[in-house]
Amino acid sequence: MASAPLPISPLAEAAPAQTRARSKARGAWATFVSSRYGLAGLILLLLVVIPAVFAPVFAPADPFALGAKPFLRPGSSGHPLGTDHLGRDVLSQILFGARISLEVGLVAAGIAAVVGIIVGSVSGYFGGWLDVLLSRVTDMFLIIPAFFLIIIVVATLGSGILYVMVVIGLTSWPANARLMRAQVLTLRERTFIHGLTALGESRFRILTRHIIPNGIQPVITNCTLLIAAAVLTEASLSFLGLGDPNKASWGRMIYDGRTSILTAWWPSIFPGVAMVITVLAFYLIGDGLSYVLTPKTRRAGE
Amino acid sequence: MGSYVGRQLLTIIPTILLSIVLNFALLHAAPGDPARIYAGMDNATESQIAATRKELGLDDPLPVQFGRYVGQLVRGNFGESFAYRRPVLGLIMNRMPATLLLTMTSAVLALVIGTFLGAISARRPNSVGDIGLSLLSYTFFAVPAFWLGLLMILIFSSKLGWLPTSGMRNVRADYTGWRDWLDVTRHMILPTATLTLVQIPIFHRITRASVAEQQREDYVTTFRATGMPEGKIFRRYALRNALLPTVTVFGLNLGYVVTGAALVEIVFAWPGVGRLALDAVYRRDYPLLLGIYLLLAIAVSLAILLTDIVYAMLDPRIRLR
Repeated sequence: MASAPLPISPLAEAAPAQTRARSKARGAWATFVSSRYGLAGLILLLLVVIPAVFAPVFAPADPFALGAKPFLRPGSSGHPLGTDHLGRDVLSQILFGARISLEVGLVAAGIAAVVGIIVGSVSGYFGGWLDVLLSRVTDMFLIIPAFFLIIIVVATLGSGILYVMVVIGLTSWPANARLMRAQVLTLRERTFIHGLTALGESRFRILTRHIIPNGIQPVITNCTLLIAAAVLTEASLSFLGLGDPNKASWGRMIYDGRTSILTAWWPSIFPGVAMVITVLAFYLIGDGLSYVLTPKTRRAGE
Repeated sequence: MGSYVGRQLLTIIPTILLSIVLNFALLHAAPGDPARIYAGMDNATESQIAATRKELGLDDPLPVQFGRYVGQLVRGNFGESFAYRRPVLGLIMNRMPATLLLTMTSAVLALVIGTFLGAISARRPNSVGDIGLSLLSYTFFAVPAFWLGLLMILIFSSKLGWLPTSGMRNVRADYTGWRDWLDVTRHMILPTATLTLVQIPIFHRITRASVAEQQREDYVTTFRATGMPEGKIFRRYALRNALLPTVTVFGLNLGYVVTGAALVEIVFAWPGVGRLALDAVYRRDYPLLLGIYLLLAIAVSLAILLTDIVYAMLDPRIRLR
């Protein structure tokens, strides 16, 4: 928690803040890389992101083209990972599917971050009945089986990809809220915050300019886990046939391929492998980030 | 202890009440008219639909429907399924043993195996063994349960032919007694193994982290200073104290298992609540869906409450806080 500036006058720290932030960032990067898991995660993530970005370049065929024979084995000419039951190229579908998975992960985790930060910081900073109410709602969302809620919402309100992202985001914020609230509770008693209050800074500005930026790290770490969870949730929904029918997501591919798995395994097994790599990447990055952000575990040679 | 349980109940009850309200509101906000579905799809006349709506009580104002619903719940009546025309609670309870068999077996197995592996990892942090176990743990945590299930079927049923692909019993054999028991066991190996494998990482990670935390405590430093062997500090003190958090995680994990189990049940055609829920979604069987969801919320809340109590019994510091 070395991030919170200590000087009594908040104006005194304005000048050196930039250079200090830069050297701190460099130190954080070195720590992140030295955690090994974090670096491994970053490399795995590049393995997913680069093909996703350049999907039109790398893909051997149009992912929706029905031209080829169905169930061509992996290694067939022009189809390195074979074709599915409709003769679509499996590799191309996986490459384009990566875009959907990453999109779902980022948007859902983004929503969860915004909602969690707002709920947690308001709850922690203002306290009183607002805190009791918000904490109760947070606990409720933490306890209820979120996946069933998501199934019900998507099954009843529709399964467009945007819906799926928003619903996943709106059910996965509670952990963020709790982390943020705990951070705010300790930060708001710090000397520099009391100093700002004494100088007449508005409560809104103190919260948004000083408390949230100084306490946001655990939320960021948690968000990497949420991206991973969102990717899995979207896949699970698609596997139940509740995904966006117009998107060739990895879950959808597994769903389509599962009935013919005993005769042709590749259309459903390969997208699963891609999913494991993606989710694993985010878990490892999360591990690396928490290594950077919790000096206590580092000291003990953990 | 009594006041502790009372405090915990005070947080659980509003949660359950709120999930009833949320649940009800959500399902009634949904488009799609169940009366139209149950009046006979395409060829029902408007008056038939109106009659069905009246019969199902769907023409009453929402607050009335909600009041009726809560009133029934209090009396243990979870309503009647649209699709099966039978009490919801009975339908769920019929399927419950199969689901409990899968979830509880896998949760306990994962607890035992995961904690054991976590202890091995924690004994020598950052050794080759620990890094190997940790990477495996991360990988299995990243594996979607339903996909792992498909992989299991592919390898152990299809390619090797060791175990049955789906179901809970061999329906053609009609076994009784111990043969039936053996048959169910054979059928549950693959789904249970699938669910266990995806839960092991949770316990591996919490045990490893928790032991590491204990190793930093002052009492461990003191023991080291007295010259107590590292192995004894680990077995007798650090590990035992570190096991406490796994109790909490076991309770929180149950909510997650239920989700995983539902998907795994579908993969293995296991006749449990998960498949019942999915059918209810497809058929817009609102009362059944509400019932399953609510029972799940209650069950998970109670499981968490129970683990909190066990935790407080094991660790007096929690009670006193």
